[in-house]
Amino acid sequence: MLPIILLSVFGIVLLFLGFLKTRAVLLPAALLFILIALGAGFLEWNKSYLYFGDMLLINNLAILFSTIVLISAFMVVALSGDFLEDEMAQPAEYYAILLFSIVGAMMMIGYENLIMLFVGVEILSVSMYILTGSDKRNLRSNEAALKYFLMGSFATGFMLFGMALLYGAVGSFTLTDIKSYILLSHGRPSLLLYMGELLVLIGMLFKVSAAPFHFWTPDVYEGAPTLFTAFMSTVVKTAGFAALLQLLSVSFSAIYGFWWVILAAITALTLLAGNLTAVYQNSFKRMMAYSSISHAGYLLIGLAALGQQSRSALVFYSLAYSLATISAFGILLLVAKQHTTDGRPDESYSAFNGLSRNNPLLAFVLAVSMLSLAGIPLTAGFWGKFMLFSAAVDRGMVWILILAVLMSAVGIYYYFRVVIAMYFREGQAGRIRVAPFYQFILIAATALTIILGIVPGLFQNIM
Amino acid sequence: MKATEIIFYVLTAITLLSASFVVTARNPVHSVLALILTFFCLTGHYVLMNAQFLAAVNIIVYAGAIMVLFLFTIMFLNLQKEDEESKTTLTKMAAVVVGGVLLVVMVAVFRAASVAPYDPATYNTRVGLVESLGMVLYKDYLLPFELASVLFLVAMVGAVMLGKREPGDRHF
Amino acid sequence: MNTTYLPSDYLPIFIQLVLALGFIVGSMIVSHNIGPKRHSEKKDDPFECGIPVKGDARTPISIKYFLIAILFVLFDVEVIFLYPWAVNFKGLGMEGFIEMILFMGLLLAGFYYILRKGVLKWE
Repeated sequence: MLPIILLSVFGIVLLFLGFLKTRAVLLPAALLFILIALGAGFLEWNKSYLYFGDMLLINNLAILFSTIVLISAFMVVALSGDFLEDEMAQPAEYYAILLFSIVGAMMMIGYENLIMLFVGVEILSVSMYILTGSDKRNLRSNEAALKYFLMGSFATGFMLFGMALLYGAVGSFTLTDIKSYILLSHGRPSLLLYMGELLVLIGMLFKVSAAPFHFWTPDVYEGAPTLFTAFMSTVVKTAGFAALLQLLSVSFSAIYGFWWVILAAITALTLLAGNLTAVYQNSFKRMMAYSSISHAGYLLIGLAALGQQSRSALVFYSLAYSLATISAFGILLLVAKQHTTDGRPDESYSAFNGLSRNNPLLAFVLAVSMLSLAGIPLTAGFWGKFMLFSAAVDRGMVWILILAVLMSAVGIYYYFRVVIAMYFREGQAGRIRVAPFYQFILIAATALTIILGIVPGLFQNIM
Repeated sequence: MKATEIIFYVLTAITLLSASFVVTARNPVHSVLALILTFFCLTGHYVLMNAQFLAAVNIIVYAGAIMVLFLFTIMFLNLQKEDEESKTTLTKMAAVVVGGVLLVVMVAVFRAASVAPYDPATYNTRVGLVESLGMVLYKDYLLPFELASVLFLVAMVGAVMLGKREPGDRHF
Repeated sequence: MNTTYLPSDYLPIFIQLVLALGFIVGSMIVSHNIGPKRHSEKKDDPFECGIPVKGDARTPISIKYFLIAILFVLFDVEVIFLYPWAVNFKGLGMEGFIEMILFMGLLLAGFYYILRKGVLKWE
């Protein structure tokens, strides 16, 4: 609860810091605020609280998900030094909106009442629409923002309708009330409940870009400024999956037989759509968009095979995915700046040619994050996939497992294209100047990825 | 039929007609006008359901303020020339199929669904009044209410950030 | 069931609405039909004073107007929250007062931001 209050206030403070003459204070202030919120979150560790008449539930799971969100936000802000130099950028507003959007994400993570979920989704989505279009002079950014906004509000409409139907069936918005309604109905809950659950699921699956609701993702991710793409593909996904986990495990676990088939079909479709389309991309950024769809597919396995292991598996996978994705985007940001075609940063694979010769560190960071995303052993991504797959085995979902393994093999192909370009292609990449702090963040993320890959038990002990 | 039922059916018919006119109208300004009519009909429904405050808010905010924004946007876009349809027949067919399936499922669900019954003897007619709404909003739903202000703030900052004319921008 | 606060209480308002609308529509139709009319190319011009018509009314307008309108809507929605609070002012007591101060405080911070940004300045 405390982080939510703090971040709302800090957002306003940042907004007003923007009126100062110097912009230099903004970045450290934003980082400090996120760290304070991170620390404040852990004050409630091992205490399970229900706040304000069953509105918000803070338990260890919620704190872990919030921590992932805050770490992602911290990294994104830490990599945003460029904004301070860009005349056209408005860093105070960007940081303030980022902090506000974390408030929304935290509401989605710890909600106990559907109204909280709705307000949280709205705060997060509206912030994302704005940040997508924040590059005002770039037509692609404008288009992406408009597309995202139109599709996103449509999906929110579906979700709201679903909530209304749930209320019609149950007479309450509280998750535990929905659960007890289902348990008391002797296996025959009102049809409105099923319809409501489906519509809420559709809305949420849109937000995490699961197929067939993923069509907006490539265009939006490509059009948005790279840093905000990194934020979107990590924070929105983590919060979205935390919200789905909460909804399905608390309220609807009693009618698992109804929804697991639907979710399993969506999982399969997402894995296929994400991985197979990613193969054909020539732009690294666009490939990362499809890769984020495919990772939504892997995360969905944890939901479709909901069980004991799902929680820790989802947390671990979200963390591994966030670390790898943000460092990959961090490198893309540096590399794309070096080559410009038609005044636009070059985001294709060829921009990475020969990167390892003059910038061995950057190449190594990107290689590790690609290996982690592909799920190669000794990286965090491997254990994430391993835990999700064993959850699927527990539920006896062998066919999903086979499909997921096949698709991981496809994933190796497109992730390795970058690695090959960096290490085995000739390129004229000069030495890229990297700020020490920027470098530190990249190294820290890489180190964490490798440490979690070697000793995943370290993390499981926390859970 | 009782008077309320007659009003209900008439209102519903007008709502559906005007709502479909919103979608089918060629001229966007006509669409907006039809949308305003739809909102007024919905207001009638709110009154029938004893939600008087929502009825008033619907008129003030939706039919009043938000529709003005819609008109503004239409004026921004130059919709004078008829753009050729960008949708292929296939997408149109797919949209019809998907929408139709959704409609059929919805109708089937609503026909079969059991809604919690209400007891006329104990029904509190004051449930939709401003007073009872305020008590629920400021006692039970306090946290979402306070956090809604964060949503407003984000919207404000976003509007200023995206909409404010910077020194170098085009000036109409 | 108590018979107060039912939708039928709104009958007088409904009747007044119908009367008001009926008067406007009726007088418009009647005045259009009974007055004499003379059509010609010059007469049907929007400006019947010799100024030639140029372009049409659909020119792009400045974003400034839209910004003002959108801020208006935001504060309009905010005011809506005040009604249920004001009605229950006594019932909610001190707690309710502090709640509303918090809410308004956040929004006033936004308002101050808007002012400082100079959005409302009309050059």
